[in-house]
Amino acid sequence: MIKIKDIEKTYSKNSVETKVLRGVTFSVQRGEYVAIMGASGSGKSTLMNIIGCLDRPTKGQYELDNINVLQLDDDAISALRNKKFGFVFQQFFLLERTNALDNVLLPLIYTDEYPADAIQQARKLLVNVGLGDRIEYFANELSGGQQQRVAIARSLINNPDVIIADEPTGNLDSESAAEIMKIFSRLHEERRTIIIVTHDRDVAGNAQRILELKDGQIKG
Amino acid sequence: MKITKNIALSCKLLSAHKLRTALCISSMTIGVAAVIIMVSLGRGTQKRILDMIHDMGTNLIVVNAGHVTLLGGRATQVTIATSLKIADADAIKSQCTSVVDAAPENRSKMNVQWGSENLKTDIAGVTPAAFRIRNIEIQKGREFDSVQNDAGQRVAIVGKVIVDKIFHGEDPVGYQIRIGGSYFEVVGVMKAKGIDANGVDRDDRILIPLKTAMHRLMRVTYIQKIHIQVADSTQLKSAETEIRELLRERHRLGDKPDDFTIQNQATLIRAERDSSRAMTLLIASVATISLVVGGIGILAVMLTVGRERRKEIGLRRAVGARRRDIRTQFLLESLIIAGLGGFFGVFLGTLSSFLASKIVDLPVVQSWDAMGAGLTLSFIIGLIFGIYPASKAATLEPIEALRTE
Repeated sequence: MIKIKDIEKTYSKNSVETKVLRGVTFSVQRGEYVAIMGASGSGKSTLMNIIGCLDRPTKGQYELDNINVLQLDDDAISALRNKKFGFVFQQFFLLERTNALDNVLLPLIYTDEYPADAIQQARKLLVNVGLGDRIEYFANELSGGQQQRVAIARSLINNPDVIIADEPTGNLDSESAAEIMKIFSRLHEERRTIIIVTHDRDVAGNAQRILELKDGQIKG
Repeated sequence: MKITKNIALSCKLLSAHKLRTALCISSMTIGVAAVIIMVSLGRGTQKRILDMIHDMGTNLIVVNAGHVTLLGGRATQVTIATSLKIADADAIKSQCTSVVDAAPENRSKMNVQWGSENLKTDIAGVTPAAFRIRNIEIQKGREFDSVQNDAGQRVAIVGKVIVDKIFHGEDPVGYQIRIGGSYFEVVGVMKAKGIDANGVDRDDRILIPLKTAMHRLMRVTYIQKIHIQVADSTQLKSAETEIRELLRERHRLGDKPDDFTIQNQATLIRAERDSSRAMTLLIASVATISLVVGGIGILAVMLTVGRERRKEIGLRRAVGARRRDIRTQFLLESLIIAGLGGFFGVFLGTLSSFLASKIVDLPVVQSWDAMGAGLTLSFIIGLIFGIYPASKAATLEPIEALRTE
């Protein structure tokens, strides 16, 4: 469902050009659990941002469900992010002073049709990630592991085709990290497509397939 | 994304930052209150001028004996002349084509006495024509007529101040009062008019027939003033010329300067308007400054908010918010601030201009359109100062926003 071909990305800052991605090609099938691994600076986050349509490549082709993503305008890309992707970030990115339930509901604000049973859906997702007793808690009242679980629930609320996780365990202790990875494995069993970006071999080990990124290219 | 959901979202975000929101709303409140006060005072001043016109009578020309000048908006007698006569008033009425009626007048401060009470008040000798020309209404009793005037009868029409101070509120009609050295019968009471634009109490006054005043009290053969009513306002200028020529001829002035001063309503009103303009300008500038300050407050807060909330913007973009959703959200927030500020401002402004009218006796007229204008203005300010931060927030690339540390 995801086809990426010869992707290049160059950042220019103060007229110094840095080539982060140097022709990356790969594809992901529906229901696959893929880990993108690499040291910091290898370009893995950049690649993830391009896959998630948060950033555009300098060169290359990107097809998502046979849609040529790079030809879409900003509004269409926003809609695409809303419908097709669920994001989980290293820093969780929850809205402070907002409770877990409203955080989970956030993506639905930007859908064309707000589902009538949105609140039940959100509650169910929170129960599924083990936060049934924290639904009304504000984000800043939750532990890191709990916040990340809220973020996972949020990434699932719009029933996305692909879940994209960028170092989801990077800010967590090993116990919480293990729980988060368990949730991802469960989602994989539910036939969801998952792309996880990490520098941690243990985390990557949960995936079916590992793509190693080095110097802006996929190794091997 | 539905507008109602947008508004609910913005309200939630605003209430999450109570202090910041409150500060912003209050700066808007002050601005709008200033505008309301300004408009109310402006209206009040306008009404005062209209009242003055009504009080003087419409389409009026005043001829004063001697030289009169305007000092601080008030007609002040500089020289006295004894050349103006009742016959001049009669001649103006009968010979000047544009003149409808003419009312000669003589006035003087005199002592009034009833029983053990006495008071110094304004005694005006007038002809019955004055009642029509100068809009003097009788509340109790009756006017005196020209027969009584010509006969020099001792009848008096008293103002409210006289009723209150001398008669202690009792109905004075039928009583005899002493003015100067003579007894007068009170035949009527004037309808209360209050204090005029120059601070003169229009109820502290007694009207008596002109002939009686001239022969019995003041012992003069001349008059001080003639109030002249012109058919319509377009003829004020030509009537003035006509009257001047007639009076110069009657007074045989040849090439000597006028021994009278003609003022028309327009000049009197202009003088009044000039004196209130400074005040209005001052308030207008204060109001403008306050509004701009309120607007800049919103701008500053929304910009800070935009910077502080880059991550939030990034996240919203990541989960599917379009640029226009972010822009709408920011704009709505500033509009809500401005709207609430406007609402409180209307309240504060209305209240304080009401208090101003009660405590310091400023002319104030409250009006719905002033409140409407205040609210509209606050929304416009909210829109103007909200657009820049809103579009700045909206142009942020999602990934840039998320990377903010």
